[in-house]
Amino acid sequence: MNTLMNINPWSILNDLLDANSRAFRNMRARAAGRFPPVNVYLDDDAIIVDVELPGKTAKDVELSLEPQAVSIADRPAETTDAETGKAAETQPAWSRRLELPFRVDADKVNAKFANGILRIELPRAEKTGVRRIAIEG
Amino acid sequence: MNEEKYIVPTATFQERPEDYELKILVPGVGKAEAELHIEGRTLTLKTHAKYQNPAGFKQVASEFERANYAMSVDLPEMADTAALSAKLENGVLTVTVKKRVEKQAKKIEIA
Repeated sequence: MNTLMNINPWSILNDLLDANSRAFRNMRARAAGRFPPVNVYLDDDAIIVDVELPGKTAKDVELSLEPQAVSIADRPAETTDAETGKAAETQPAWSRRLELPFRVDADKVNAKFANGILRIELPRAEKTGVRRIAIEG
Repeated sequence: MNEEKYIVPTATFQERPEDYELKILVPGVGKAEAELHIEGRTLTLKTHAKYQNPAGFKQVASEFERANYAMSVDLPEMADTAALSAKLENGVLTVTVKKRVEKQAKKIEIA
């Protein structure tokens, strides 16, 4: 087969869409209400993540922390299996994991709801391991 | 927060046997920062929260807007605008309006 035939005329369009795919995906997911939108603020020593969750309170949201990422998920209502009477396994309706540009100090992370907006403050962990030594003389 | 700028909030309107319930999403707005007016059957909401980005921080992701909200809605004719109650909780404003009680049956003239 002629090699030219292998060129997909749609590839250019696909590439274009790909370049924006993340943006499109985010917009689509938002439109479908699949996960809540966030605003992120950054300075040298901390990251602030605001999550828009109108009508929600602390008991509706689960927050988990990795050294360099934070995950937010809804906490499904506890339901019991009608047959076994045991707590039914429920999947969160949505979850979001945000990668962070630096390691955070897990002990100093602070999260607070105010008027339907969850603010998570993530202070940067102290730099360890590398110490600069002044050379004398 | 840009005080001149208003966005129309997401809202749902529900009819129940005895009343109507209007739910308006106003995340970021506290009770003291929302104003509700009724004129005739037109209900108007305007908020005036003063939000500022954290000082010294650079915004690196912006998926929702921190602006004030404004909207107005005409309530149904059956709504008793005197029996209106509102509460704002966790960024959700819930307005409940009782339906008018029509005590007298309506007589229909036969032509």
